Amino acid sequence: MTIKLQKIDEWRWRIPREGDMRTEGLVYASRAMIRALQQEQALEQVRNVATLPGIVGPALAMPDIHWGYGFPIGGVAAFDAEHGVVSPGGVGYDINCGVRLLRSELEADALQPKLENLANSLFQKVPSGVGSHRSDLRLTRTEERHVLELGADWAVRQGFGNDTDLDHIEARGTLPGADPDLVSERAMERGRNQLGTLGSGNHFLEIQRVETIHDEEAARALGLFPGQVTVSIHTGSRGLGYQVCDDFLKVMQRAARKYEISLPDRQLCCAPLQSPEARDYLAAMAGAANYAFANRQMITSQVRETFEQVLQLSPADLRLSVIYDVCHNIAKWEEHQVDGKKRRLCVHRKGATRAFPPGHPETPAAYRHIGQPVLIPGDMGRYSYVMLGTEAALAETFGSSCHGAGRVLSRRAAKKRARGHDIIAELAAQGILVRAAGRATVAEEIPEAYKDVAEVVNVMEQAGLGRIVARLKPLAVIKG
Amino acid sequence: MPTRQPSAGFRLLEHTADIGIEAWGPQLGDLFEQAALGLKSLLIGTSPVAEAQTSPVRLDADDPGELLVAWLNEIIFLFETQNLVPGSFRIEQVDRTGLQALVCNEAFAPDRHTVERQVKAATYHQLYLGKEADGWHARIYLDL
Repeated sequence: MTIKLQKIDEWRWRIPREGDMRTEGLVYASRAMIRALQQEQALEQVRNVATLPGIVGPALAMPDIHWGYGFPIGGVAAFDAEHGVVSPGGVGYDINCGVRLLRSELEADALQPKLENLANSLFQKVPSGVGSHRSDLRLTRTEERHVLELGADWAVRQGFGNDTDLDHIEARGTLPGADPDLVSERAMERGRNQLGTLGSGNHFLEIQRVETIHDEEAARALGLFPGQVTVSIHTGSRGLGYQVCDDFLKVMQRAARKYEISLPDRQLCCAPLQSPEARDYLAAMAGAANYAFANRQMITSQVRETFEQVLQLSPADLRLSVIYDVCHNIAKWEEHQVDGKKRRLCVHRKGATRAFPPGHPETPAAYRHIGQPVLIPGDMGRYSYVMLGTEAALAETFGSSCHGAGRVLSRRAAKKRARGHDIIAELAAQGILVRAAGRATVAEEIPEAYKDVAEVVNVMEQAGLGRIVARLKPLAVIKG
Repeated sequence: MPTRQPSAGFRLLEHTADIGIEAWGPQLGDLFEQAALGLKSLLIGTSPVAEAQTSPVRLDADDPGELLVAWLNEIIFLFETQNLVPGSFRIEQVDRTGLQALVCNEAFAPDRHTVERQVKAATYHQLYLGKEADGWHARIYLDL
């Protein structure tokens, strides 16, 4: 299907409303990105989202958009509380997949002699790979229910972190309204021994160096300085989240028939926000989101312990503290101004990050003068970015920004490109240590498989949807 | 579906972020077996599996497409939660809304089995399952 596109300006492209679309599509991209997008099915997916009932504003796509399943990855869609829908496919299988950034008091140069030791220890201590689990931590049924209800707060209550950590997490690490009774036994079983594990695929744990500071005042507020060691954690709700999604896709297949919602793709199945099916999904989703917050909190604790042991430093010397923690696969109730009126909307972000401006009540107190931090990981060979949310993002994209680089090569194409190359040795020659559990993962995750994240964040900044604060360079990458 | 292949088989489909399986066979059971073999190839490549044991599977669904999604997700579930590496699949009984099968498998052994990649789930994205002149055909995308 050829999708009609109209250029609005250098960074904005409209998919005009046609046929069964209820609204238009709005894509943030450079001309080069648009050319690449026209080769795949992502734009058609934006069009498909625009057909869903009760959608408010355009169906949005961030510059890291690529072909997903059902919704595009890099998609944002807001739905009216009365007439709109919620779609588990619009959140994705990895509910509350997200990124957490830690800062330290260390300088990268001083760390270098112990970097390999540190990478090896982290690879050993933080379980990664397919089906990774903690042999030392199997939750009881009651404990797991508490994890779903309390999120990161559960982990802190168990001694894995402190209250200050919670102050620097989206929603303080606990989405309200989680109901463990709505999470299936099967999902609970998948989650029982996966808390505190990284998983596989594009998930990672990365030691980084602050390479460049773009905004000194904001960097100071975030506690960032050039040459500093930071740590990024990218993971989500593991098997528990995948199962919640799968369980509710089944429920929503039926719900879509029951409420007579016509679907251009079965993965877009959904239910009216006022229906019991939607209420149940959102309560189960919140539980899975909380599991993900707890997961990143547990990994943070393991990272702190490992740094202390390997570097023989005290917590006070290391000061590994949380800068921020964002969800990038989630549906959330939020209030937004639409045509001058305040409205309660269910905002779906699938491969998109919340990006609230300075002064917003949900921006943490410590950052209220600069805006909410937005964490944008790139591929394992290049760099990641720290950005801040803006007023323009709040007004235009329901306070949303991109979430990463976005893939450009299929996995098979990436493997082909990697053939004959020792990727781990090549990255080591560039000063990046890689430790990976899966054989195919490294080849499929080669830097060339992704867009250059610098181009992605440039589109965001040029369009006014984010402000770049700093660029981080990988030193050591733990992959699943 | 564009392909017209004899007998039964599967092939992998390109996707930017994920991967798809196209499967076909003269009978519905052949198609379910082939789709499972496709999933197995994604999970463990060509690692040999001793098939020391069997896991019985019994599934119900509202339509054949949903049944295929449930079947592949069951194999992923056994792999992830019980560490059981799939070897072969015996479809004992299948119709449009129900499946009874045996997954012949063994416990994961790191010295013999290579885990290729994680498969999070089988999805409904562009899901197709239908009977054509030369037998059954299906297309299913997986979230990796």
